[in-house]
Amino acid sequence: MKLTNDSLISVRNLYKRFGDLEVLKNINFDLKEKEVLVIVGPSGAGKSTLIRCINRLEEPTEGEIWFEGRKIDEKANLNKLREKIGMVFQRFNLFPHLTAIQNIMLALKVVKKMKDEEAREVALHFLKKVGLEERKDHFPHQLSGGEQQRVAIARALAMQPDVMLFDEPTSAIDIELIKEVLDVMKELAKEGMTMIVVTHEMGFAREVGDRIIFMDKGEIVEENKPVEFFKNPKTERARRFLSKILNI
Amino acid sequence: MDFKFSLFLSSLPYLLKGAKVTITLSLVSVGIGLLIGLGAALLKISKNLIFRTLGSTYVEVIRGTPLLLQIMITYYGLPAVGIKLDAITAGIVALSVNSGAYCAEIFRAGIESIEKGQMEAARSLGMTYAQAMRYVILPQAIKRVVPPLTNEFVAMLKDSSLVSTIAVAELLRRGRQLMGTLANVWSPLIGVGLIYLVMTIPLTQLAQRMERRLRRSEAH
Repeated sequence: MKLTNDSLISVRNLYKRFGDLEVLKNINFDLKEKEVLVIVGPSGAGKSTLIRCINRLEEPTEGEIWFEGRKIDEKANLNKLREKIGMVFQRFNLFPHLTAIQNIMLALKVVKKMKDEEAREVALHFLKKVGLEERKDHFPHQLSGGEQQRVAIARALAMQPDVMLFDEPTSAIDIELIKEVLDVMKELAKEGMTMIVVTHEMGFAREVGDRIIFMDKGEIVEENKPVEFFKNPKTERARRFLSKILNI
Repeated sequence: MDFKFSLFLSSLPYLLKGAKVTITLSLVSVGIGLLIGLGAALLKISKNLIFRTLGSTYVEVIRGTPLLLQIMITYYGLPAVGIKLDAITAGIVALSVNSGAYCAEIFRAGIESIEKGQMEAARSLGMTYAQAMRYVILPQAIKRVVPPLTNEFVAMLKDSSLVSTIAVAELLRRGRQLMGTLANVWSPLIGVGLIYLVMTIPLTQLAQRMERRLRRSEAH
């Protein structure tokens, strides 16, 4: 079975409940190739849960998610799926027992079955891309938060994913280091990477986003072009949210 | 008190032979116990209900019954169902199975102490559960379980004395034999106690030092 549109990702009637708590309510959206979708909203809105449903770190309670024309269900090979969906976490989640380059090489060797030399070459290429080539032999704890997150981005990119999910990638980083991470993400967007970004960085959302989804209390409240969303939000809830965060 | 220094000294060579048996017994048993324990720990944290039940039943049964009973069953009970083991083998089997249950709890705690994000990051890169366990979780967990496993070995050095009841000539057994042949209680028993201490104190200290170092290295 196929969905009759050319979307890379389609989410249909998605619900997620944790016991009595309804975290996602009837979520619907499409993501086209090369599109940068930014998801904003207050904490607890369900933003992270939503993108974690896409690579099945969370199991949806109800509804469908389609990826590259295929429905993701019990029969889907989740490991193959995850190879194509890169994910960057709020807390980096680098492997602390491995150096920067080993962090990137591990999945290349284990999942992509590359030989050591090839994996090293690929890893080095992506470390260069995030500007951390000379840090390759450092362990995570020897790197700043910004550097750790850039390594994490390189680690996800090295798998050559078709889409990248960013789960509040700058929320755990010192303010003065946020820019270096956002710059890497901007560069990626420019190169045409398809991205879903959950973030509180409104500047990034406005500048890089092709489309914004505003979520509150588990629902998509508004979907809009960034310029419109910030200048003239359609909904009262979005207006209140924006006035709150832009005043701070 | 009938302690005589000369008797104490002359009993040492005989006792040290027993200490060698005690050490060998403990090393082999904890070695096998480690393997059983890792397997049982993986069963216990499995998502599969049957595996999980299997793992926790083993751990609960072993930890909920006296080691002495387990030794008796292995040595006196198993022959009735057609498995006849000599004393030393029965000792090793009982001690290994017993140690496995305690090692399982140590491994489980170690694995569960690793931040959830580590497994998620590994899975998000396309690794299978087993690959993530092997390359990401276990290497980190191993570091954290070395100190408690060292303590487990110390416990085994002492607890292995229970196989003296099935006539394995380890340290305590030899002490008791000397009580008879020397017609003296205190001299051989003090020898036995001192030899246990010489084995256990350095190991306990080592475990404490490793724990402190680990805490420091994970502080950053």
